[in-house]
Amino acid sequence: MAYERYHISTKTWPNQASPVPKFVITRADNCINCGKCERSCIFGVHKRSEQDPRKMADPVNALCKNCFMCIQECPQRALTMMPGTDYRELGRGVWTSLRVSTIWGESETGKIPVLGAGYRGMFAGPGYDGMWTDMSEIVRPTRDGIHGREFISTSVDIGSKPSALEFGKDGGLQTHVPQIIEIQVPIVMDSTRLRGLTSKMLAGWSNAARNLDTLMFAAPAVVSEEIHGAQINHFVPVYPDGTDVRTILVPNGVRMAELQYTPSWREDAKRFKSMYPHTLLAMRVRSGKGVEKQVLDMAKAKIEVAHIDFDDEGMELDSHAPRHAKDSLRAVHKTLVSKSVRDQITIIAAGGIAAAEHIPKTLICGADVVAMERALLVAIECRNCVTCSMGSCPASLISVQPDWIEGRVTNLVGAWRDQLLEVLGAMGIREVRRLRGELGRAIFYDDVETEAFSDIGGGDDNG
Amino acid sequence: MTMAETPRACAKDLPEASGVPSEHLKFINRYTVARADACISCGLCASLCPYGVHRRIEGHAKILPPDDRKCIGPSCAVNYFFCVANCPTNSLSVSGSDTFISLGDPRWPSEMILATWHMAETGKPLPLEHPGNVGASGGGFDKLYFKMPGQDKFDPDTICTAIDLNRRGEGAKIRIPIPIYGGGMSFGSVSVPTMVSRARAAKEWGTFTCTGEGGYPEALIPYKDHVITQIATGLFGVREETIQRTRIVEFKYAQGAKPGLGGHLLHDKNTPEVARMREAVAYTSLFSPFPFHSVYSVEDHKKHLDWAHAINPSALLAVKVSTPNDVEMVSVGSYYAGAHIVHLDGGYGGTGAAPEIAKKNIAMPIEYAIPKVHKFLVKEGIREEVTLMASGGLRSALDVAKAIALGADGAIIGTADLVALACVRCGNCESGRGCPRGIATTDPVLDRLTQADWGAKRISNMYGAWRLQWCDLLTRLGMSDISELRGRTDLLRHGDNPTKEVGT
Repeated sequence: MAYERYHISTKTWPNQASPVPKFVITRADNCINCGKCERSCIFGVHKRSEQDPRKMADPVNALCKNCFMCIQECPQRALTMMPGTDYRELGRGVWTSLRVSTIWGESETGKIPVLGAGYRGMFAGPGYDGMWTDMSEIVRPTRDGIHGREFISTSVDIGSKPSALEFGKDGGLQTHVPQIIEIQVPIVMDSTRLRGLTSKMLAGWSNAARNLDTLMFAAPAVVSEEIHGAQINHFVPVYPDGTDVRTILVPNGVRMAELQYTPSWREDAKRFKSMYPHTLLAMRVRSGKGVEKQVLDMAKAKIEVAHIDFDDEGMELDSHAPRHAKDSLRAVHKTLVSKSVRDQITIIAAGGIAAAEHIPKTLICGADVVAMERALLVAIECRNCVTCSMGSCPASLISVQPDWIEGRVTNLVGAWRDQLLEVLGAMGIREVRRLRGELGRAIFYDDVETEAFSDIGGGDDNG
Repeated sequence: MTMAETPRACAKDLPEASGVPSEHLKFINRYTVARADACISCGLCASLCPYGVHRRIEGHAKILPPDDRKCIGPSCAVNYFFCVANCPTNSLSVSGSDTFISLGDPRWPSEMILATWHMAETGKPLPLEHPGNVGASGGGFDKLYFKMPGQDKFDPDTICTAIDLNRRGEGAKIRIPIPIYGGGMSFGSVSVPTMVSRARAAKEWGTFTCTGEGGYPEALIPYKDHVITQIATGLFGVREETIQRTRIVEFKYAQGAKPGLGGHLLHDKNTPEVARMREAVAYTSLFSPFPFHSVYSVEDHKKHLDWAHAINPSALLAVKVSTPNDVEMVSVGSYYAGAHIVHLDGGYGGTGAAPEIAKKNIAMPIEYAIPKVHKFLVKEGIREEVTLMASGGLRSALDVAKAIALGADGAIIGTADLVALACVRCGNCESGRGCPRGIATTDPVLDRLTQADWGAKRISNMYGAWRLQWCDLLTRLGMSDISELRGRTDLLRHGDNPTKEVGT
C-alpha cells in the first residue's frame, strides 16, 4: 500500500443559528443621526437605515469587535456597550461561553483559533485550568508543529499489548498477538450519554467517525439500523446495564463492543470472550473512589479497554469527594504502571472534554484516548441550555442535516488535532503515543505554587 | 552614555512629564446617570452638582443629557448635593456603567487600563494602593502584595532605579535609568508610527526598545542606539548591517504568548511594505519555524552567539527564551554560551497573533519561572554575572517591582506600551484592518491614526509615572536603589485579600 500521510480535509460549514454577539451596543434617544459612528467603525456595525437614510439603523452587534471607537467618537454620548446577555448565558461550568463559541468557530472553519493580544483569562483554575504543558528549547530536542514539514503522528492503538514477544526454536512467533485497532486520532465519539438525539445527528457523526478513521460508540439499535449501509467497523455497540450477555448479537464487521462495569462484570466478560473471541471488549466504568483498583482488576482479567466516565465537568461520578479527571486518571495510570500492566489495557477518558487543550492534558494524565460527547452537540451549535427541549431549541437542532453535521464535527476534530500537533511540536514529541502519562512534561498548579512561593508569607488562604 | 560614566546618577537628566490632553480618550464612564422623561428641566441638578454632570446651555429650555464621565457614583449619596435625592420629580438615577464593564478582562481590568491611560496622559503616578495597579486574574502577580507601610513623602532625586545590562567583567557597560526596556514587536505586528513612538520614548529615557522579528525599518535608524536588533527563527530582514548598528543583539528562541511555536503574521497584515522588509511574498501568512533549526543544543546555541559576536563584537547578547519546566537549565546554558542578558518570557505575554491554545496552556507563567531561575543561578554561583530580565504579563510598575522582588534584575514591557498608546485591548490585532487606533496594523490608511510624537510622549509619561511609583515603593520599603529589592521575597505577601495587605 502506498504511504499516505493522514490528513483531515476541512472546509467551511457556516453557522446556521442566529449569531450570539459578545457585545451589544444600544443607541439612546438623544442620537442626532450625525453618522460619526458609521465613519469611525471599521467593522461595519453602524449603517444608515435603508428605509429612511436620515436615520441610523440598529447596530449590527454580531460584527462588533469591542473596539469602543463609536462610543469614543459619538458627540452625543448616545451609545452604550454592554456584554451580551445571551452570550454570557451560553454554556455552564467548564463549558464556558468562550469555550462554546470557540467550538462553534472551530466547527465552522476547521482552523486553529488565532487571535491578537495576550492571554485574557484567569491565572489558573480548577481541573485542567490548573495545568500547563511543557515546551522545549535549546537544551532539548524541538520541532515544528503544524507548519513544519515533519510528520507528527496522532494515531493510537486500542487493545492489549503483550509486554514481550517470545519466539520458538524455529524462529516462529510463539506469543499470541492480540487484536489491535489503530485509530488515527486519539479521539473517539460517544453518543450514548447524550439525550434528545435525532437519527440525522447519529448519521452525521457516524459518517464523520468513519471518514476520520476513528470509532463511534452508539446504542446497539443504532448499529443494527446502519447495518444495511456499507461499513460498520467504526461502530462500537454499547450494551446498557442489565443486558444479558447471552442475548448479545454482535453484528458482523464490528471490531469492538462495550459492556458496563456491574457486580457481575467478571462473568459477563468471560462469557462475552467465549462468544466473541475476536472482538475487543471495552468495559465502561463510572469513575469514583477506588476506580484505580477497578481498572487494575479489569486489566488483570484481560479486558482490553477501560472506558472511564466522568461527568460533563470532568469530575468523578461516584464519590462523596469527587476528584477531577486529572487526579483520578493520574492515580489509575500510576497504579497500572506500578503493577507493570499499563500496556495491557487501553484507557479511554470520557466527560468534560470541552476544548482542544483538554486532549493533551488528559493524555498526559494517563489516558490513551479521549471521548468526545457533549462537544459533538456543541459542534452543531448546541448551547448546552439547562432546560433542553427540541421544540424551543435556539439552534433548531431537530432540522439540521447529516452532511452539515458531518462537516462540522470533522472540522472540529481537525481543529483539535491541529492544536494537539502544536502542543506536541512545542514539547518536541513526534507521536501522541509518547504523550501518555508524560507527567514530567506537565506543570501542575499545586506543585509550582509551592515551589515558587513557599518562602513567601501567606495571606488568608495558603496558611 | 552619561549613565555609564556616573553609575549613581540615575536621577539626572530624566525626561519631564508633559501633559498629553486627549479628550477623546475619556469616553469611558464608570457610572451611568440616567434622566427619565419625567424631568421638567427645572435645573436644580445643574445648580447642585459641583462636578459638572448636569448642565444647561444659557437660553436653552431643556437641560443637556448628563455627562456621566464626571459623576463620582452612588457614593455621592452622602453629599447634600446628591442629584438623585434632590430631584423634585425623581427622574434621576445613578448606576454602574455597562460600557465600563465591557472594557478589559481579568488580566487587564478596566481600572488598570484607565490607570495606564491616566499615567500616559499626565505622567503623574497613581498611589500604590490604587486598584489600577493590580489585575483581577486571581493568581501570580495579582496574588502577591508588598508588605509596605502607608504613603510617605519621597524625593525621586535620591532614589536610584537604574540597572546594569552587562554584569559580566568584560564588554560594553550599558546602564539604563529605569529597570525596563521595550520588548520585541515586529514591523508587521505593529505599525511604523508605533515602533517610532516606542523608540523615541526609549531614547528619551536612555533605555531600549526592540525591533521584533520583522526587520529593521529605516524610520528607526535615528534611534539606533536605543533599538535592539532581534534575530528570531524566521530570520526576517536580518542583515549584517542591522546587527552592526545595534548595541544589543537579541536572539529570540521562543515567545511567551506562543511558547514552542514560531511567530505568526497572518496574510492580510503582510502588506507589500511588510513583505519587502521581510523579503517575503506579500499577503501570504508568515509562520516562523520553531525552533532555530540550527540550534538543537547549548553548543549550537553558543555557535549562534559567537556568530553574532563576530559580526558585532561590541554588542551585548540577549537571549529571549520562554518558560519550560527546565527553564533554569536553559538559562544556565545561555549564560555559558556567552549571553549577557537572559530574557525569560512567561506564558501570559502579549502577541500580535497567536493560537489561543498556546496562550494559556503551554509553558509556565513568569511568576513561577523567575524564582526558579534566580535560585538556580545563585546556586550555580553565576547570579551576579547574569542580567535576568522578565516579561510576559507584566502590566504595571508594581508588577515590575514584584518581578524584581522574586529575583529578576529588571523587566521587559510590551502590552503596557501599547495601552499607553490608547489601546483598549480589543484583541483584533491578528487582522490586517483590525486596529481602529492604528497601533497594531500595517494598513496604509489605519496606521496614520497614531502619531509618533504623540505616542512617544505618552509612553515617556508612563515610564516617568512608573519611575515615581518605584521611588514611592522603595522609600516605603526603606531602600534607595532598586537593585536592593532583587530577590527580597521576604517583602512579599501571597494572598487573596488586597485590602488587608495594603498600608499595614
